[in-house]
Amino acid sequence: MAKKLIEAENISKYYRLGVLGSRSLKEDLKNWWAGNLKKSLEPTDPESRRDIWALRDINFDVHQGEVLGLIGKNGAGKSTLLKIISRITLPTTGRISGNGRIASLLEVGTGFHGELTGRENIYLNGNIMGMKKKEIDLKFDEIIEFSGVSRFLDTPVKRYSSGMYVRLAFAVAAHLDPEILVIDEVLAVGDAEFQQKCMAKIKSISKEEGKTILFVSHNIQTIRNICNRALVLEKGKIIASGESESVLASYVKLSRDQFLGNDYAQQNNFPGNNNIRIKRVELIPKYLNQLNVIDVRTELSIRFEFIYQVEEAGELMVILQVFRSTGELIFELASPNYSFINGIVNGESIIPGNFLNDGLYYISLAYIRNSSTRLFYHESCLSFDVEDYKDSGGMYGKWAGIIRPSFPLKLDQDPDRI
Amino acid sequence: MEKNADWQWEISAHRAWFRLNLRELFHYKDLLLRFVRRDIIASYQQTILGPIWVFLQPLFSTFVFFIIFSRVAKIPTDGIPPFLFYLPGTIIWSYFADCVNSTMNTFLINAYIFNKVYFPRIIVPLSSILFHSFRISIQLLLFLVVCSVYALKGSPVHLNWQILLVPVMILVTACFALGCGLIISVLTAKYRDLDNITQFMLRLFMFAAPVVYPASLIPVKYKFLFWLNPLTPVIEIFRSSFFKPHPLPIPYLLLSLLTTFIVLMTGIILFSKREIQIMDVI
Repeated sequence: MAKKLIEAENISKYYRLGVLGSRSLKEDLKNWWAGNLKKSLEPTDPESRRDIWALRDINFDVHQGEVLGLIGKNGAGKSTLLKIISRITLPTTGRISGNGRIASLLEVGTGFHGELTGRENIYLNGNIMGMKKKEIDLKFDEIIEFSGVSRFLDTPVKRYSSGMYVRLAFAVAAHLDPEILVIDEVLAVGDAEFQQKCMAKIKSISKEEGKTILFVSHNIQTIRNICNRALVLEKGKIIASGESESVLASYVKLSRDQFLGNDYAQQNNFPGNNNIRIKRVELIPKYLNQLNVIDVRTELSIRFEFIYQVEEAGELMVILQVFRSTGELIFELASPNYSFINGIVNGESIIPGNFLNDGLYYISLAYIRNSSTRLFYHESCLSFDVEDYKDSGGMYGKWAGIIRPSFPLKLDQDPDRI
Repeated sequence: MEKNADWQWEISAHRAWFRLNLRELFHYKDLLLRFVRRDIIASYQQTILGPIWVFLQPLFSTFVFFIIFSRVAKIPTDGIPPFLFYLPGTIIWSYFADCVNSTMNTFLINAYIFNKVYFPRIIVPLSSILFHSFRISIQLLLFLVVCSVYALKGSPVHLNWQILLVPVMILVTACFALGCGLIISVLTAKYRDLDNITQFMLRLFMFAAPVVYPASLIPVKYKFLFWLNPLTPVIEIFRSSFFKPHPLPIPYLLLSLLTTFIVLMTGIILFSKREIQIMDVI
């Protein structure tokens, strides 16, 4: 078995949310005087004080050459765990021990200074990431070539386009040479082409250079592509771990169960803001097959209900966007503009059967005022999995393409001309 | 399985009281120099006069002091030409004030970096101190030039052996400022209002040091309190090394060194104890 590089034991992290920043000197002194400074770290009444355990008793190991994926929804504790491993924040309890130099890429271009030239920033950023000047000297040409901004090397980066900036920043990050690399997926930024380049580079770092990588993402496809082992985090706990295929399968199932609909009214927790309050969003398959799954033939209806509240009358339009789990927008639908009075509004749309290919999708709803102002963006409010349907005599393997319509395609043979 | 494996590093909630990992600091020396370089380059970008500001700043304040304290208030200057009297005080004082000012908000200003990447946080205040040390070295050259001009015109300028102590005095000022800055940086990160108080204190503190008046003006009964300030012997020695040499105030000098040492150690301990936790409250 490969050498163990990281061992995390009982990691917990506790945040005091409600009182953050409002804790006064007086309160601290009083606590200190009472000698219970230590004790006050323990949540007395988690609900009322709005204290949270961002992580609870996390245990895991990372072995040499392994690419470990951390997956979970927003707020599951992924970033907190990354920050602890990167020594940006301390755990409340527990211990992580390890061997080898760690480099954390939670962001590209950390510390870039707008007034400095590209060249200066390569060195600045490299040094911040823990490289020595000599190491950067050695890789300088490679970095420039990878970034593709060699012409602007002596221009201050504040004059760079955002694309160039990101390219340069990622180029430095990609040439770090630590034993363990901790990567946040937000790293892969920029246009689609550059993102692919980033992912390819990360892949080659793991496959060809045999680096040990910890990779955080909420994107199943990416984890599946890159990682050989995965951990699923939910509400600060590890709920599944192991070989990535099987872990991801259970994760997909879990998210499907949770996302087929959400009746916020019942939970008394309406997402939204003063103008738009979401009461309910649901996805209703016209029929489910025996296994309770949506397959490619299933017609889906999307229904939502929200409270509309504006001070000045105006027009309201809702845009529905359907994304693949990889983040590509498949299509969007826009409602006409309506002039509603304040109150409850219902919406419905239908995605016909025989349209989406198999895969994981999510839906976001944007509420737009007067065709210009976005009142609220309800991001990934629904997500669902479409499974393949194979009748006898069909083709095997995954159908190619993003959509899968069943437009007629017929062959014919004229008996007279055989 | 490998329960007793030798780990190279460990992360846990516990942090030792004194934790200044010199080997780690040394590993990051390139970063330290890089920060200094960044500050030097960035401070003169898009300014018309550029590096000349290093000279203009002490000259301007000396001129203001000259008008207010010498011409208007008529405070004696120990027989030294007023301009020559104020210049060294201004240089040392602004060095101290700049060092404190640039280190006291270390966490607030650098939160965006500290939230993304690890390196020994003390690198940042150290680099600020080095940056200002670079500036004061240039200002001292300016002072030498001004002195020679006065000497040629026949003013009583006598370089004497005490000039050898000047680098030590600068170092004391740097250590004292670093200590203050580290302590304040940890406190302001949590209690923002201390920032305002510090600005006010810093301004008052200038008048507690012999910047605009000579130490000989202090009544005897306040003398001890006055010399307790580590900056007092620093400025006095600096001045007397260029003019009529006073005898060295040895006991006060030692006291100043001791105060500086205590402040610096308190700063380092507090800083290294809190450098990571503090990010949760920013």
